Amino acid sequence: MNPIMASAPALFTIRSVDYRAISPVLIILAVALVSVFVEAFVGRSARRPVQLVLVFGAFLATFIDLITLHATRLVTAAGSVAVDGPALVMQGAIILLAALAAMLMAERMVDPSGDPFAARASSLPGSVDEAEFSARGYFQTEVWPLLLFSVAGMMLFVSANDLLLMFVALEVMSLPIYLMAGMARRRRLLSQEASLKYFLLGAFASAFFLYGMALTFGFAGSVNLGSIADAVSAKPSQSGLLLLAVAMLSIGLLFKVAAVPFHQWTPDAYQGAPTAVTALMATTVKIAAFGALMRVLYVAFGGIRWDWTPMLWIVAILTMVVGSVIAVTQSDIKRMLAYSSVAQAGFILVGVIAVSGKGLASVLFYVIAYGFATIGAFAVVSVVRDASGEATHLSKWAGLGKKSPVTGAVLSLLMLSFAGIPLTSGFIGKFAVFSAAIANGATWLVIVAVIASVVSAFFYARVIVLMFFSEPTEATASVVVPSAFTTIVIAAGATVTVVVGIAPQPLLDLVNNAGLFLR
Amino acid sequence: MNAAVQAGNVGETLVFWICAFFSVLGALGLIVSRKAVHSALWMALVMINLAILFVANSAPFLGMAQIVVYTGAVMMLFLFVLMMVGVDSSDSLIETIKGQRVAGILLGIGMGLLLVFGLGSALTNSTSVGLDAANGVDKGNVQGIAHLIFTDYLIPFEVTSALLITAALGAMVLAHRERWIPRLTQMQLSRARFAGSGHPGNLPNPGIYARHNAVDTPALLPDGSTTDLSIPGPLVARGGIRPVDHAEVDEVAAITDGGQS
Amino acid sequence: MTSNQFGLFGTDPWWLVLLKVLAIFVILVLLTLFTIWWERRVVSRMQNRIGPNRVGPQGLLQSLMDGIKLALKEEVIPRTAHLAVYWIAPVISATMAFLAFAVIPFGPTVSIFGVKTPLQLTDFPVSVLYVLAIASIGIYGIVLAGWSSGSPYPLLGGLRSSAQVISYEIAMGLSFVAVFLYAGSMSTSEIVAAQQPVWFAVILLPSFLIYVTSMVGETNRAPFDLPEAEGELVGGFHTEYSSLKFALFFLAEYINMVTVSALATTLFLGGWRAPWPLSVWASANSGWWPMLWWLVKVQLFIFFFIWLRGTLPRLRYDQFMKLGWKLLIPISIVWIVIVAGARTLRDQSATSSSRDTLFIAAGVILLAAVLSLVASSRADKRKTQADEARATVAEYQVDAGGFPVPPLPGQQAVLTSRRDSAVGTTIIQQRIDNQENADG
Repeated sequence: MNPIMASAPALFTIRSVDYRAISPVLIILAVALVSVFVEAFVGRSARRPVQLVLVFGAFLATFIDLITLHATRLVTAAGSVAVDGPALVMQGAIILLAALAAMLMAERMVDPSGDPFAARASSLPGSVDEAEFSARGYFQTEVWPLLLFSVAGMMLFVSANDLLLMFVALEVMSLPIYLMAGMARRRRLLSQEASLKYFLLGAFASAFFLYGMALTFGFAGSVNLGSIADAVSAKPSQSGLLLLAVAMLSIGLLFKVAAVPFHQWTPDAYQGAPTAVTALMATTVKIAAFGALMRVLYVAFGGIRWDWTPMLWIVAILTMVVGSVIAVTQSDIKRMLAYSSVAQAGFILVGVIAVSGKGLASVLFYVIAYGFATIGAFAVVSVVRDASGEATHLSKWAGLGKKSPVTGAVLSLLMLSFAGIPLTSGFIGKFAVFSAAIANGATWLVIVAVIASVVSAFFYARVIVLMFFSEPTEATASVVVPSAFTTIVIAAGATVTVVVGIAPQPLLDLVNNAGLFLR
Repeated sequence: MNAAVQAGNVGETLVFWICAFFSVLGALGLIVSRKAVHSALWMALVMINLAILFVANSAPFLGMAQIVVYTGAVMMLFLFVLMMVGVDSSDSLIETIKGQRVAGILLGIGMGLLLVFGLGSALTNSTSVGLDAANGVDKGNVQGIAHLIFTDYLIPFEVTSALLITAALGAMVLAHRERWIPRLTQMQLSRARFAGSGHPGNLPNPGIYARHNAVDTPALLPDGSTTDLSIPGPLVARGGIRPVDHAEVDEVAAITDGGQS
Repeated sequence: MTSNQFGLFGTDPWWLVLLKVLAIFVILVLLTLFTIWWERRVVSRMQNRIGPNRVGPQGLLQSLMDGIKLALKEEVIPRTAHLAVYWIAPVISATMAFLAFAVIPFGPTVSIFGVKTPLQLTDFPVSVLYVLAIASIGIYGIVLAGWSSGSPYPLLGGLRSSAQVISYEIAMGLSFVAVFLYAGSMSTSEIVAAQQPVWFAVILLPSFLIYVTSMVGETNRAPFDLPEAEGELVGGFHTEYSSLKFALFFLAEYINMVTVSALATTLFLGGWRAPWPLSVWASANSGWWPMLWWLVKVQLFIFFFIWLRGTLPRLRYDQFMKLGWKLLIPISIVWIVIVAGARTLRDQSATSSSRDTLFIAAGVILLAAVLSLVASSRADKRKTQADEARATVAEYQVDAGGFPVPPLPGQQAVLTSRRDSAVGTTIIQQRIDNQENADG
């Protein structure tokens, strides 16, 4: 041996990683890196087209990849990544919804100055710098790599079978969103405040998650969900350590799904963030967070479900009631949608509480249906504008349906879906979730949920009434004619809502065939 | 052998109690201090003591990483920002939401009790495994960590790079200020200085008189006259120019000129 | 780490540990006194002066006298100082400077009063990281001194220093990585042992150069002494310090110099091992001799520090940061990739296809690195040229208004018309005439 090489380190066997199975995430990450290089090396004017091609190309490639992988059911990389049915379904949904959100982000016809994002996020709001950058037509193209990183994080988040990977994925998912939330072109101070609040509270929630992870490790000696499940079933369940761990982990994840009492960031973040980013937060992040929540609770802590379901009962009831009641009092459509999203999180939690394959399938169905309806609703919000930008105050929506019947009709459809009126996807989703919960004996919870949906139907209907049954005034906003991007998003949202509402079977088959979580 | 183990235990117990005392002291100081810089310093104390505890518990790599990363880099950046933001800024004690402090303290104590009793009850009846097994497999703490990173936690480790890239990108997006007018070169600056109506060279130094040489005294020019150009703008604005006793100046001039002028 | 891997470390009786601690303390204080004198003499020689030569033989006791004087001076504490922090800052600085020396090996195993023991206070698996950690706590002294003085110049000095040390600590840490890879350890004694036939300074030359550059930045020495740039910041972080507290900072600075030099010796110059011609002599590497080689090597580095101070002007702050972030760190990273590749190559030399892949990869990385460096420097140059082109509107005159000025870099002297230049000459001639008249 060469004397320069002192003590050769002990060789260890490299664990095999099935790169084919995790290729969807790898594609997104690779394109994200290319996209960073594009920011560094491609000229300013060419950046946007190149980035758009990259981003949509990546989404397309990943989606095709996911379709070819649809039958894969395996756990790889030393048990840290689970590529199973629910993960693949959620990854597919995330890709589709992220592509739609990306279209909203790419929209340039709606805002008179061009982009929905600030020309330079680093320029002070209201400064000469800002005016100068806007006048020169600069665009913040860094949102595209950020979007891709975030999507990669979400995709890993739903397939992480290891608390450590789950935590890293959580941060990869959240950090770009914190950033993008602060980059709105209009009302920048509000946007920056939203970003800061989201970031601070998000960091706080991450700390809870980490603490929970540490306690879990203390209990089980592993962060792998499968090993934790083994430890849970091997040891007597009444361990304070374990209960604390479950509580902490759940707090971290419930924060991301915006469940009461961890919802305080939601209205501010949804209102302040650029609408395209809000759409991303309200749909893909919610899907990813529910995916992770269910994986942790079902796979790792399924053995002690009788200990944590009561806690989730309380959270679900609080979420539904508080979300619905406060939404009634809102006068800003984005805030109203935020509280509506809180309430919807409560309905989805009802499905989570039914710890069963049926519950899992119903939650998958619900989040997908809800995702498409939500992204359509935010797309509609982004085109209703007046001189100051998006007209989010509800008073400006009076008589909008008479002024622009198509927009009004689409939004009404989406609102009906949120309210769970039959023949829309929302109805099927609620039905699936509630029946799964009843099958599992949570009848009282379902009764509360039904009452909450009645309350929520009130404020959804109020928007419809406002749009169609009151006269347009001076203050009524007008609907800007968007480019193909937003049109596609609105059309997709409306179409999925109607088609799934009328013929839900294909989607039901998809989520039912997804099966259970692997471990 | 037994005696050595016993001695080791005594040393370890001593280290534990010293470090535990300072950690708790630091943690309390962190909360109680009103000045942000003091809080940051207490935090640094906590981290250093934790690092010593890590080292004492045969995790030297973790201890050193704790100091290098947290004390050396993270807290230092904290301090850096705190100092940039304001030398003397301290927390305001005015409540924006009524009853917030009381509620916060109560909830905090509740949370603390929950954790202490939860953890306490969980840990009192558990047997400690010890670290020899963990450190022994790969003949060392460092090698053990390397082993875990490159086998069981390969994917999380690699994905962390995505996080770092995002953070770098985010820092750039939030803080990098692009120029929309070219930076003025040294030549342009000097041209502007000479072309304008201002004073092209260095402004004169404060005057040095028998009784005053402070910055608010007007400069004494070589020809014996005085000029206010030496006085900083803010002082002028406040009207803080020290009047010159011209008799003195004339006297000095008379002495130096030998009474010729 | 199991104790048997570190041989005799951790087995010293308590009196020996105490003795070693005392020895290190004495050595460091003496080295500081010597270094100050040595620096003053060398710089004087470089500047055609004599330097301190009154107290003691050749002025050797000058720094001792200065130290005593400094300690006995009146202490002035600013009214705006934050007292507790103001007090603790120099203590942190000086203590940390001493602490870092605990893991520096001075020599091989020797016998002291019949006990066999290595000439090193202690060693553990991550001792090099320990030095880094201690150095990073040491910065607190500087930063806190700057903040607690309650005065703007020290604050700026402290801020600069923290920015500087954090920036250069990255490059420094990266330069260690190649050493760790080759030595297979982070313990100082094992790193010394790993340099048996060839020093790491030879096989890891880029790392060595990067370390040497960053150690100057890390110790705030010229030409990187921006935190105490006299022309800009008076004295930097220690402007408001006097008497013994100032002496502590002074001590810390010189000990830090010795520490980084000793670390450089340990990591790159074979530590206490005898250099080549001497190493032929078998007993050069045993007993107490190695301590001499160690001292000579350290002194060479210290001379290098002094030489730099005597020769180079201070960098501008932006140039300094650019050097750290845009040159040292990227180069280190590329170099680490290459070193890791080379190590893998050697470890898996059986498979030639993987070797080819690695060679190609290394080539590609190197090419990409060089290209990006060239591209970025060309982009910089283009930018400056564009800026200058915008700035230079070809109205430069050799003797503008009668005052002859040399052209600035990148500027072409534009000949003025004969009449203008005649005017210029006339004016100058007139002034000369006036002068002569006045004298006459």
